[in-house]
Amino acid sequence: MTRVALVPGCLALLPEYASLDDPVEELRAACLAAVAWLGEEVRVVAGAQGTRVASALLAAVGSAPVSGAEAAYLIVGNGSARRSEKAPGHLDPRAAEFDEMLGRSLATPDADALGGLDRALAAELWADVDPIAVSADLLRGVDTVAIDYDADPYGVRYWVARWAPRA
Amino acid sequence: MLRLGRHEFGDDEALMMAIVNRTPDSFFDKGATWAEDAAFERVRLVASQGAEIVDIGGIKAAPGAEIDAAEEKARVVDFVARVREEFPELVISVDTWRAEVGDAVCAAGADLINDAWGGADPELVDVAAAHGAAIVCTHTGGVTPRTRPYRIEYDDVVRDAIDSTLGYAQRALDAGVAKDSIVIDPAHDFGKNTFHSLEITRRLGEMVETGWPVLVSLSNKDFVGETLDQPVGERLLGTLAATSVCALAGARIYRVHQVPETRQTVDMVWTIAGRRRPKRAIRGLQ
Repeated sequence: MTRVALVPGCLALLPEYASLDDPVEELRAACLAAVAWLGEEVRVVAGAQGTRVASALLAAVGSAPVSGAEAAYLIVGNGSARRSEKAPGHLDPRAAEFDEMLGRSLATPDADALGGLDRALAAELWADVDPIAVSADLLRGVDTVAIDYDADPYGVRYWVARWAPRA
Repeated sequence: MLRLGRHEFGDDEALMMAIVNRTPDSFFDKGATWAEDAAFERVRLVASQGAEIVDIGGIKAAPGAEIDAAEEKARVVDFVARVREEFPELVISVDTWRAEVGDAVCAAGADLINDAWGGADPELVDVAAAHGAAIVCTHTGGVTPRTRPYRIEYDDVVRDAIDSTLGYAQRALDAGVAKDSIVIDPAHDFGKNTFHSLEITRRLGEMVETGWPVLVSLSNKDFVGETLDQPVGERLLGTLAATSVCALAGARIYRVHQVPETRQTVDMVWTIAGRRRPKRAIRGLQ
C-alpha cells in the first residue's frame, strides 16, 4: 500500500496560464504540498488535461510521473462545474447533492461508493470523476490524512485530499 | 537592463514618463502647473497613478518668450531637489537642451536628461556622463531649439531618425555615458510634419530593432490633432491609438499627460504581445 492524493484538474494551475495575481493561490499551495507529500515516485491517474496538470505540479516540486510498482498515486479529478449561475456550466440543481455525496465518500473514504459513482450523471454535471472511480480500490485500507482544500471559488467543486495506508 | 540614474528596470518593463510643466504657457495644460505647489501636486498625482518617471520642463517646446538659462534653472532646479526629497522612488527627468541647466539639475538629484532638441548643446553629454545620469537622444532633423518645422523633407525620415539618434548615442557613449543609460526618441512632430510623424509611428519597429530602448512622446500632439481634426483637448483617443502601435513595436518609455489611460493601453498591448501576463485570468480555466 502506498500514499494517495487527489487534486482538481484546474487549468489555472498550469504555468502557461499563469497570471500576475494568482487566482488560485490557496488551491495551488494545497496541491503543491500534497504532491510534495507523495514523495519522488508518483503514478498519475488522470485524463489528458488532468495529466498535464499533474505533470506541472510534479515538476514544480521536482518530481516526475513514473510507473514503478512502489510509487505513490496522484489522482486528478473534481466535482461539478455546474454549481451556480456563474459556474462554467451554469446551475444544475442536482450538482449540490452530487458533490456532497462525493465529498463525504472522499473524506471517509468510501471505496465502494466512489467505485459506483453515477458517471452518466457526473458527465451531465460536468464533474470530472472518472479518474476517481477507476482508482477507488486504491482507497481500501487507507485512512484520510487530511482534506486540505474543499471549496468552489469559481463554481467548480475542488478537493485536495491525502490518504495513507492504515497503520 | 535599463539604468536611469539611481533606478534600474528590466528589459521587459514599459515605463510611464509623466509630463510636469513648470511653464506658464505649455500647449496642453496652458500653465496649470506653473505655480510650484501646483506642479508638486501634479507630481504627487502621477506618482499615485504609478508613473515611474516625471519629466520636469521649464521651457515650452514651441516658440515664445526667450527664457535664458538663469530663468530656466530658477524654474526647475529647486523643484527637482524637492521632488527628490519627497519622492525618492521616482525617476526624475528634466526636459532641457542646455548643459548648464543639465549640470544644475543633476546636482539637485535628476536621474535623466531628456534632451528634446537632439544635442543642440554638445556639452550636454559630458554633463550626463559626469553625473552618472541617463540621457534621451532625440531626432529633430537638425532644427534650432524652439522652432517649428517648415518645409522639412527627408529621403527617408525613419532612416534619418535612426542615423541621427544612433550618432547622438555614440557621442554620449564616447563622452562616458553608460551604455545602459542611453535612450533614443524619434521625437514625433519635432522637425517633422504630420506625414513624417505617422511614418515614424508606422515604422517604429525599425528603431526598436536597433537594440536601443525607444522613448515615444505622442501625447496630444499636432500629428494626432491634424490626423483626426481634433483640438488639443480632444486628442486622447488618437494618442492612445498611436500609443498602441508603438507599444506593439516595443517602445519602452511613454512620455504622457494622461498616465492611467496610457498605462492601461500599454499594459493591454504589452500583454497581447506576450511581454506581460494578464493581471488575473480564470475564465474558462477553472
